[in-house]
Amino acid sequence: MPQPLAHDDPPGFGPYRLIARLGSGGMGTVYLARSPGGRTVALKTVHARIARDPEFRTRFRLEADAARVIGGRYGAQVVDADPAAATPWLATEYVLGPPLDEAVERCGPLPEDAVRALGAALCGALGQLHRSDVVHRDLKPSNLLVTADGPKVIDFGIARALGDERLTRTGSAVGTPAFMSPEQASGQEHTPAGDVFALAGVLVFAATGRGPFGGGQPADLLYRVRYADPDLTGVPAGLAALLVRCLAKDPAARPATAELAARLHDGGGEFADHLPAALLALIGARASGIWQPAPPRLPAPEGAPTQPPGPPDPPATGPSRRGLLTAGAGAALGLAGAGAGLWAWLSSGGPGPDPAPYRKPQAGPTVPAPAKKKLDSLWQQQVAEPDTDGTPGNPAPPAALGDLGLAFASSGLAGFDPAGGRVRWVTDPDHGSWQTATDGTRLFRLLVVNRSGANAPLRIAELDPATGKSGAPVVEVAAFNGVTWLNQLLAATADTFYVVGCTGPSTDIYFEKGQTWYVAALDRARGTVRWRQPLPDRPPKVKYVGSTRLYYLAAKAVGDRLLLLFETNDGDIRAQARDTRTGALAWDRPAPVNRDRVRPTLAADARHLYLGNGPLRAVRLSDGALAWDTAATRRGKTYGPPALKDGVLYAVEQGLGAAAFDAATGALRWTQQGGDAGQSALVDPPVVGPGHVYVHSAVEGVLRAVSLSSHLTAHTYRTTADRFAAHEKGRVVLALGGHFLAAFPLR
Amino acid sequence: MGARDMAADGPEQFDPLGPYLVLARLDDPASPVPVPERRYVARTPDGDRTVLLGTALPGTDPGRFLAEAETSRYLLGPWASPATDVSGPGARPWHARPYVPVLPLPAALAAHGGPLPERTVRALGAALAETLLIGHGQGLSHAGLAPAAVLLAADGPRLTCFGAVRAAAPDGTPRSGLPGLESGSLPPEQAAGGTPQPAGDVYALGATLAYAATGHTVPEQDELPAGLRSLVGACLARDPGARPQPADVLDALAPAAAAPPPGAAAPTAPDAASGARAAAGLGPGWLPGRVIAELARRSAALLALDVPAARRPAAGPAPAAPAVPPTPVPAGATLPTAAPRRQD
Repeated sequence: MPQPLAHDDPPGFGPYRLIARLGSGGMGTVYLARSPGGRTVALKTVHARIARDPEFRTRFRLEADAARVIGGRYGAQVVDADPAAATPWLATEYVLGPPLDEAVERCGPLPEDAVRALGAALCGALGQLHRSDVVHRDLKPSNLLVTADGPKVIDFGIARALGDERLTRTGSAVGTPAFMSPEQASGQEHTPAGDVFALAGVLVFAATGRGPFGGGQPADLLYRVRYADPDLTGVPAGLAALLVRCLAKDPAARPATAELAARLHDGGGEFADHLPAALLALIGARASGIWQPAPPRLPAPEGAPTQPPGPPDPPATGPSRRGLLTAGAGAALGLAGAGAGLWAWLSSGGPGPDPAPYRKPQAGPTVPAPAKKKLDSLWQQQVAEPDTDGTPGNPAPPAALGDLGLAFASSGLAGFDPAGGRVRWVTDPDHGSWQTATDGTRLFRLLVVNRSGANAPLRIAELDPATGKSGAPVVEVAAFNGVTWLNQLLAATADTFYVVGCTGPSTDIYFEKGQTWYVAALDRARGTVRWRQPLPDRPPKVKYVGSTRLYYLAAKAVGDRLLLLFETNDGDIRAQARDTRTGALAWDRPAPVNRDRVRPTLAADARHLYLGNGPLRAVRLSDGALAWDTAATRRGKTYGPPALKDGVLYAVEQGLGAAAFDAATGALRWTQQGGDAGQSALVDPPVVGPGHVYVHSAVEGVLRAVSLSSHLTAHTYRTTADRFAAHEKGRVVLALGGHFLAAFPLR
Repeated sequence: MGARDMAADGPEQFDPLGPYLVLARLDDPASPVPVPERRYVARTPDGDRTVLLGTALPGTDPGRFLAEAETSRYLLGPWASPATDVSGPGARPWHARPYVPVLPLPAALAAHGGPLPERTVRALGAALAETLLIGHGQGLSHAGLAPAAVLLAADGPRLTCFGAVRAAAPDGTPRSGLPGLESGSLPPEQAAGGTPQPAGDVYALGATLAYAATGHTVPEQDELPAGLRSLVGACLARDPGARPQPADVLDALAPAAAAPPPGAAAPTAPDAASGARAAAGLGPGWLPGRVIAELARRSAALLALDVPAARRPAAGPAPAAPAVPPTPVPAGATLPTAAPRRQD
């Protein structure tokens, strides 16, 4: 459903005027837009950053061609496209129907009759594609829109810049390999028979609400797709027998679409006759809801640079940046944060799963009053949020540096005044949070060179906290290639920068064949490489698809240990420690957590690294062994990521709220009282102030200040934010998310 | 009919009408069910505001039409359709309100392939009764309820054509057979020229529910579903005094959820004014699938409709006449919907 335009969204693309945002994700933003003749379209744009890759433009054109092949009956009718624009765009009809995953989530599994009708119609769609020698490759519930006249297939696998990435991310129906064919999962060719396999998986999902190979870790899923029998529990018997054939590991054993269609459904009646009432109501609400007046564009934040409305198709701003991947000796930028809520709405294309029911327009003026946000904050600033998974890293929490507050917005890193929210400076849209670190007093960034194919040394510069301007490089290392977006500045200490860099051919966006990647320590004073240690290869760009998976999602240097959260090629997260003197891997242990929920902050002291997202555990820095573990002392309890302050470890305990432990021994100090905080989010580390610990509940949209003395909620603040950090000098809790940056009193 | 008379026929697709460009007729011109207005979907040339627009039928009194349109501005209730924009006086007056995808009741029967299910009729009857109840509380007799006056939207009906009977002819003039008035839903006392009273609306409600349930406004008793037979029959009593009150119809079709606590007044008008009682019947399943499909088709067709550059007014005030001859769209073209799709 339409969301307001951000203040820095352009006025339009080509002849199309932007009306509202429909969602962000993948490679860019999808807008609701209008032609000069009043035709309403869905307009899909690609971030300029991604579009700089000439191969991607080819893919974008192919995607548009594939959408034209499938046509308006089985797909979203292509209205117009400009693959050559600075920001390539594709305008299609606005389809009046929910994606199948949302339909099942909101209406429950579909009855057999509906599943059969859906399957027969999808066979028609696939048949049409296959006759034109197009294979879909990415058929899954989120790529099927269910209209009253039948399903429409969208988002072909071709133009999935981050396709391989998303497929191995966990935790949602979107982007799991649950609907992959075994041949695809083993890297072989995906033929029309592979689409039949995926179709059967989609039908199992429609009938039961889950895929035939379950969920869980992508690596396990891929294994089950390749070797395990599908789980058809809950699929009506007659249908199950048919779908088992489609789910055969041998592509040759699967039926063709024509045969499958005939066996699924006799073709009687209209498609709508077979749909359950709840789904029909959802479709009806969409068909009506789109006629409600579009929400007004959000205002520009005061004092922040804005993009003045210009002619349509201006040079687009760069992609927004996610993931304040900062850490260093001591506190540095590593602070509390939470991003899963934001992630969720980015990938689903709208804020939250709330249905936004259709309301009858009131008689009277059709211009709605601007949305009034009454918040409990000291101040708030509207920010254009980093808005996509088209950039590496995870959403960044705000941070404190001296008198300054820091937050990543789509226009770059913003330095602001924590007392009043006044924005002092903004860097540039190419400034990624994973390229930024502080040693506690000074702020550094990797200088990015955008010239695919060129070579340039890796350079690190200091940012002037007064202006945000980069000074001359403080370190320049010719041994690493500075022309890739995936370089990381992991941490800065008084004498060392820890970086991820590569040798070999340069690319703007993706990992490339022939590159060798390293984690390295650079001597700050001499500008030399103190040590470097090779990293496992990431999958190189094949044809048009590449990986942008960063090696590390969090880092922190403590004593002789560089602590890291490493992401494997399968999307698993591992906690690792390297010897800061040699770079040798000191220990390496699994840290099972949904990669999208990884916070770029690590709680560690001179003895332990503390991990949550399950039981709360203290890992000894010296050897990686567990010093203590709540699995033994508080059996069955689950915790969010912890925050450490003054020898006390704070975390949210599921169903309870804040809990405090002695960091050295793991002894429970206290738990939150009052029983009001049971819905507190498990993705956010608490924020600790002098007298209170702050815990967030995304479900309730509140931040609770829990007194350190009474252990009761002392204050409750309403907030749309989902990432928080303490700014001790400014005596505020910084809150970022939901289009706003705000501050609450830190007590 | 003689040579085609543009003024009498009304605007065609992409012709300007007030500040709007006409996109499509709302009603099927081939439908035998009379409509007291010529109704269109129209939108502003910038495409930002789409409206449902009604114009007076050729040969009717523009003054009385406008007077009813002005009064309709004040109608309350979630299923009323108050005008939000009314033309100045002129030969072809119009009134408009924001567009939502709707099907006139006759078109809904056509889309469904026959009379509507009893559940739909009961929910519709409750919403219409509640709307009449609210209007009567405001001192307004609707005097225009008929099958074509009822539009079905996904979230409930919209009752349009306010005052069509009064607009058709002044009190004291027999109204039988006047253009636009559907004879079966015209109460006998109003047909004879009487001033429209609330009881006349109940008669029209009975006839409209009969139409929804059987396809015509003067059904044989045994055509009606058993559960509606006595209620519709009572509404259609020739004696206005013998007809039930709208609150009685509401009680019959949407029983109050819980009995009022002892001593409390029975919930009537204040309860109804919220539209709460009828709304309970308008949840998922209140409309048949094919009706929702047709609503979605019309919505999609309108979203996709692009006004050709040659038909868009230049910047500045809309031109008095179309810039080019009318497009070859036949007079009274309805929405360009796709044919209902069969399964493969």
